[in-house]
Amino acid sequence: MELFDVKGLNFAYPECTENTLHNVDLTIEKGEFVVLCGSTGSGKSTLLRMLKPELTPLGSVSGDIRFKGESISTIDRRASSASIGYVMQAPEQQIVTDKVWHELAFGPENLGMPREDIARRTAETASFFGIGEWYDRDTHSLSGGQKQLLNLASVLVMDPEVIILDEPTAQLDPIAASDFITAIKRLNQELSMTVIIAEHRLEEIVPVCDRLIVMENGRIIFNAPPSEVIMNMNNDLLRFMPSAARIYRTLGNESEECPLTVRQGWNFIEKNFRTEIRSLPSQKKEFKSDSYALEMKNVRFRYSRDSKDILKDLELKVRQGEIFTIVGGNGCGKTTSLKCASALVKPYCGTIKVFGKKLKEYKNRTLYKDCLAMLPQDVQTVFMCDSVREELKLANADISSLPFDISNLLDKHPYDLSGGEQQLAALARVLAANPKILLMDEPTKGLDALYKHKICKILHQLKDSGVTIVIVTHDIEFAAECSDRCGMFFDGHIVSVGTPDEFFAENSFYTTAVSRMTRGIYDKIVTVSQAEEICRLNGRKDGLK
Amino acid sequence: MTFFVKVLQIQSIVHCLIYIDLLILSFSSLNPAVITVWFLSVSAIAMFCNHPVITILTLTGAVLFYLIRNKNGHLRSHLFFLVLFLILSIANPIVSHNGATVLFVMNNNPVTLESLLYGINSSAMIVGVLYLLRSFTQIMTSEKLLYVTGRLSPKLSMILSMAIRFVPLFSKQGQKVNDTQKVLGLYKDDNFIDDIKGHIRVFSIVSTWGLENGIITADSMEARGYGTGRRTQMTRFGFTFSDGAVLAASLVLTALCAAAVAAGKISFNFYPRLISSEFGFMGIVGSAAYALLVFMPLLIETEVKLRWNYLMSKD
Repeated sequence: MELFDVKGLNFAYPECTENTLHNVDLTIEKGEFVVLCGSTGSGKSTLLRMLKPELTPLGSVSGDIRFKGESISTIDRRASSASIGYVMQAPEQQIVTDKVWHELAFGPENLGMPREDIARRTAETASFFGIGEWYDRDTHSLSGGQKQLLNLASVLVMDPEVIILDEPTAQLDPIAASDFITAIKRLNQELSMTVIIAEHRLEEIVPVCDRLIVMENGRIIFNAPPSEVIMNMNNDLLRFMPSAARIYRTLGNESEECPLTVRQGWNFIEKNFRTEIRSLPSQKKEFKSDSYALEMKNVRFRYSRDSKDILKDLELKVRQGEIFTIVGGNGCGKTTSLKCASALVKPYCGTIKVFGKKLKEYKNRTLYKDCLAMLPQDVQTVFMCDSVREELKLANADISSLPFDISNLLDKHPYDLSGGEQQLAALARVLAANPKILLMDEPTKGLDALYKHKICKILHQLKDSGVTIVIVTHDIEFAAECSDRCGMFFDGHIVSVGTPDEFFAENSFYTTAVSRMTRGIYDKIVTVSQAEEICRLNGRKDGLK
Repeated sequence: MTFFVKVLQIQSIVHCLIYIDLLILSFSSLNPAVITVWFLSVSAIAMFCNHPVITILTLTGAVLFYLIRNKNGHLRSHLFFLVLFLILSIANPIVSHNGATVLFVMNNNPVTLESLLYGINSSAMIVGVLYLLRSFTQIMTSEKLLYVTGRLSPKLSMILSMAIRFVPLFSKQGQKVNDTQKVLGLYKDDNFIDDIKGHIRVFSIVSTWGLENGIITADSMEARGYGTGRRTQMTRFGFTFSDGAVLAASLVLTALCAAAVAAGKISFNFYPRLISSEFGFMGIVGSAAYALLVFMPLLIETEVKLRWNYLMSKD
């Protein structure tokens, strides 16, 4: 049964000369799992909003959108709000009420359902999602992952026929994001819920979807099962795809099936490539300096006297001019360690030195002048003005000295920028203070693959100009690609440190997809490019090129 | 055999009765509307009738109820109320010089016994009502308050719920922005004026942030059908037999007392001399009704405790 039928849809925002959507044709069948991808600004969000009458943006529309055979503009509002569910990106701002149970009841209340029905619906939905345990909590006390799960549940409580999700995991850490994606998979498989989702994190979701739709400049350029799409896409778009598929695109040939999961990737390499050379020749990087930019010794910290230690005997030494990445799970104290290093909170024990000088000796806030700067996780907190230009003026920043170009963003309001653009603008503001050591908290949160790559390049340029960078991140792939050394944070301190090759090759769970894929075949292979290189060096078993 | 069945039946009926009774776990677990009615009627009578008997009943009832709920803690608030009581009591005779019995003369002004007693009576009333209010705010969590306002107007309750949610959100964001800006060098020098300027900037940007986020919240509300027609309100508070009983008791007792007050049977004049009205039958019934009303939560709490201990001791 056809749920959505879109024909020849064009859309332009008011006062825009160019169309945001060009001639879009699309049909969605009931029970399908459709993934929509494309770089930022390709019109994904606009298209999704066109499918939800309550959220349709103002502008000039031509073409036809039908929901179950009926034109979407004439559907009864009450019916459409219930049967088309929509989940947005921001976990916090979508929540309306103060209690979890009330949030669940909000939708049914709006529909004027009788009290008993609401009670049954909320109870049922809460048990499906395992919300029962925090049913009584205040919504503001939930974690980001819980909030987003609540948003999903409070849409499902209205019993929709289709659920549309616009980058729902962009602001979640990888573990919460993967839980969220699992919940969506369950919905599709157990309740045959129709799912339309726009996403950046495709490693887990592409293997289970029925169709992959790729958008570029407001046009649908691919609309087919994932393996078929991957065969035809260009290199920029390929960065979005799962690692196994990326390796296949450079090395595979058309007679083989395209691998999507880690297991399929392992099979693909194992079956096709020889294994005489086990590892790549190591490129030892010599460090010029032996002095340390940041030293933390025996640092202990807790928020109040009666609470638990968040940092326990933390030892950390970051050399001058390196990129050091701290990875680790949620709530293990990574962010707190950055706060300690930037003197926002004081540890009750231990010493912290920045460039050999104790934090206490930086009197009168001189620490933040030409010395240390931090880019927080929530980059929106950086902005204080109505436009990026004023923002940079406030900080006395010189755009021409930046290692990247943001001149196209200058006249926009910081809040109107996309996630990646916000990150760049915030970075520009932070760099204006000429820091010699830069602390970054989750710099890749909410970024698509292209922006991640861009940030990685910028960090290397900064490093070359002598800046020491300490990154805290959940993003293992990013850590493997851009850092000189990595440390694993667990239970309040750093348990192991090493170069990415050693570090991720030793880990068996907490490591990149490529490392898991080449386990037992090759040694110390961590990134996609390394995997491609070693496979080339070894050559194919069947001797083909 | 039939005898045996009968015994079993009687036993199960007794059990049922016990369980019905146990529906009241405590006064604070009653339906919020009932609690609100009780609170409003007690404080209304306490404030409209200045007879010392009523005042004494209010004060003892309120203090005992507060103590039974909070055990030995909250020494500071007791101290605060005591100081308040003393200040208010002394303030009246200093300001007001009515009354026939002069105690002594201060700065050419007479200080009278009647004025002193009037001060003590009114401050006892104020402190009593404040104690009640304290207990009331402890019992009425935001959820219960919303339930009660929701009975009056679902829209109002909805807005209140959003407001309650917004406060912690706003302060959290303020803290985050402040931290970030500190590290980015917003507070350039270590001086007071610069700090204030910085805080004003932070406040203004957090307000912008609030408005900006409001748009997303509005979208999310609309997407879930807000404003498409009549709303219902889901509540988690049932109206049980015990709620009905307590509500009816409160209303009847209040009516009895109010009738006595209206008939002038419970009234008291402080000036120029202390004169109490003739109580008569109606006055006694009215005062007794008020005593029952004020002590009702205490009675319920004690009874529940005793019965609980009894049930537990049986196993």
